[in-house]
Amino acid sequence: MAGPLQGIRIVEMGQLIAIPSAMKWLGDMGAQVIRLESVQRLESYRTDSLYHNEVDGDFWNRGANFYEQNRNKLGLTLDLSRDEGRAVLRDLIAIADVFAENFTPRVVRNFGLEYDSLRQIRPDIIMVSSTGYGFDGPWANFGATGPATEGAAGLAYMTGYPDGGPVMSEIPYTDYTAGEHTVAAVMLALLHRLNTGRGQFIDVSQTQTCSATVPEALLDWTVNGRIQPRQGNSNPAMSPHGCYPCAGDDRWIAIAVDSDQAWQGLCRVMGRSDWAADRRYADVISRLSHRDELDRMLAFETRQRDNHELMAALQSSGIAAGAVMDSKDLLFNEHLRSRGFYEVIEHHPDTGMPPLPYASRPWKLHGTPAVAPQPAPLMGQHNRDILAGLLGRTDGEIETLTAANIIGFAPLTPRGVRRPSLDEQVRQGRMQRYETDYAAQIRREYGIGE
Amino acid sequence: MPSGALAGVKVIDLTHHIAGPYATKLLADFGADVLKIERPAGDPGRRLPPFHNDEPHHEKSLPFLYLNTNKRSITLNLKTDAGRGILMDLLADADALVENFAPRVMPSLGLDYATLRAHNPGLVVASVSNFGRSGPWRDYRATEIVEYALGGLMYIFGAYDREPLKHALHQAQFKAGTNLASALLLALYHQRLTGQGQQVEVSIQESIASALRDVTNNYTYTGAVRRRQPNHTGDLTRVRAVSDGYVLPNPGLGASVDWQVLVDFLEAPELDDPRFDNPSARLENAEALGDILDQIFAAKQKQEIFYAAHQKRFIYGVIDSPEETIDNPQIQARGYYVPLHHPQLGEITFPGAPFLLSDSPWQLNAAAPALGEHTAEVLGQLGYDAAGLGQLRASEVI
Repeated sequence: MAGPLQGIRIVEMGQLIAIPSAMKWLGDMGAQVIRLESVQRLESYRTDSLYHNEVDGDFWNRGANFYEQNRNKLGLTLDLSRDEGRAVLRDLIAIADVFAENFTPRVVRNFGLEYDSLRQIRPDIIMVSSTGYGFDGPWANFGATGPATEGAAGLAYMTGYPDGGPVMSEIPYTDYTAGEHTVAAVMLALLHRLNTGRGQFIDVSQTQTCSATVPEALLDWTVNGRIQPRQGNSNPAMSPHGCYPCAGDDRWIAIAVDSDQAWQGLCRVMGRSDWAADRRYADVISRLSHRDELDRMLAFETRQRDNHELMAALQSSGIAAGAVMDSKDLLFNEHLRSRGFYEVIEHHPDTGMPPLPYASRPWKLHGTPAVAPQPAPLMGQHNRDILAGLLGRTDGEIETLTAANIIGFAPLTPRGVRRPSLDEQVRQGRMQRYETDYAAQIRREYGIGE
Repeated sequence: MPSGALAGVKVIDLTHHIAGPYATKLLADFGADVLKIERPAGDPGRRLPPFHNDEPHHEKSLPFLYLNTNKRSITLNLKTDAGRGILMDLLADADALVENFAPRVMPSLGLDYATLRAHNPGLVVASVSNFGRSGPWRDYRATEIVEYALGGLMYIFGAYDREPLKHALHQAQFKAGTNLASALLLALYHQRLTGQGQQVEVSIQESIASALRDVTNNYTYTGAVRRRQPNHTGDLTRVRAVSDGYVLPNPGLGASVDWQVLVDFLEAPELDDPRFDNPSARLENAEALGDILDQIFAAKQKQEIFYAAHQKRFIYGVIDSPEETIDNPQIQARGYYVPLHHPQLGEITFPGAPFLLSDSPWQLNAAAPALGEHTAEVLGQLGYDAAGLGQLRASEVI
């Protein structure tokens, strides 16, 4: 049986990652997810990171981020700033199990979409609001991005090189932290509804979900009054421990020596019996006191080696080591491939895009596996299915909504972002390199026909 | 007191360290009855620093005290027949078994899924491991930094011309733990509808690789391989040092920035320059722009510019230390940090609810258990009297 959530209907008013990623995973598991957007306001994930970096034609149906976050959803455009649009949404709420959104509370109130209004329409509705700082409180209406909440939660402050300021990941990391917790939150609410018949309001603060994952630092302050310094890649209990350069351009390996036995193994693999015999490095305490020296010595040796070959050699000696994988390493990785982690999704023929592999999800439910993946919807792709099929709207009513731009199939003011040429992006350092035969390589690896 | 969403759900918890215990903490804090089964020497997570008052002791690890709230603890040696027998008795009416051993361990203990299902067909068996339960790297060893490397987050994290970085602390473990809770709850929902249990698994590597935005898509869509970004890219939303800390400026998204508004807001006429007033020009003159922005921000104050920005609906962020985030007025107003009395250590202030459920709230009722605190109580319910317990103790089963 595919997906434990067959029969669950979710209406999503999401944007970017925090809510869309969570609802995507619930869609993977069988829920029907109806994704709202509008032709008036074009989400930035439809305008940037485009297939072939081409902004002509229906570019809004070729955005990488939109496909990445919205598979297994139905697409409905709806202008919620007008009564006719809100009337359609109310009819959808009446037949929905979950309403999920990640706008600010101000927007939710302006649209009349607070939980107390929704439960008038559907008494056992589960509503989830995902915000940067929480649905109430003095910052409730402050917009936020992942990096902003990574900063507010205490994580960014702790992260960085020992000799520098805070460093953040290059992706909106905490958007995912919120999304991951949101999946759990919705499932808790669905289980509670099964027990009691009651819905409820879920208030996800991205900052709180992130702080929940840095207790070591927060408790060191509340209990011991200490702020730990930024430690880069070093670890207070292991040496060597870090990221070391390898042969090639921008190639690296992460190595964590977590026992004296692992240290002896490392010396063996690196061909340095002199290190193994040196009493200054015999135990973890002495290695920690020579940490910088050891890191330099080890980096000198790793620089001669291929990172994947060295990882294999170290792992077969029982040492925790990992090549620092770039995006191509991931897509062609034998382990992830054997587990079917990347799933090939066929795009709508109108897009002109070939089938492409996408990251799936972090879990496998062996008794109720995920549904076969469908691509994110074209703008307005399922307007008719939803309005006629689910809500019983007549052709005439649908035509009226279309004529008034309450629904539609294309943005009213399309504006795509053309990135600089790939040569320029490499020169600027945004990209490490590019390959021209990538499409053929992907087809071969994933067995995709021409 | 309202009951948690998982009232009546019985979880047998074999997990240790961080990822598994965070999953079962999420369940316990929402009302599940979580019975933590520790090896006689205790969960290795009891040795995680920092410690209460810096005293290394298996009852004083602060991460352990956080990760194991609302749970009960018994000790059990699963390498003995008697220990496994007691586990099977406990599993007979359980809803879920959670574990984060290396994948080969459960079968080696005779606790493979087929055996567990035959014993209790409704049981959800939830596992989290470094690389999942199958594949050529199944038995590879990993720590946090290795997961960052192999999950793909490390390559794009850090300075352009320096070694790639990982986040501080144990983000990969927490991320996978959150996902394990979700996977288990999905399976539990199916179990509540059909009576059928199943095996579910989470991979820490895949937890990271699932959350990389368009990094792999850059390659599949254009053939380009993303790397760590240079410091001065013309990007207006990078961390900037101010006189009293750091802020994250964000004047708007990408192409939609109105340059004059930004110049006025920063009170920086030197930016009123055709070299900077459109996105292409900013990319062309990225280094000069970055230098000027660094100087402008160095003269600002964190709170002042943050609130001024939000008055204009710019989505600025602050970068707060642990001390500052705990004192943050928003976080205070939300009552996020929660004091809890520990019988030996007194009051400790913990990070609280990650999310709020209005009808079945998060609750912190009980401090993390002492090692084996509930052994006598739980085994008593299975019918062991004082003599029986003595025997188990003598044969090192408990």
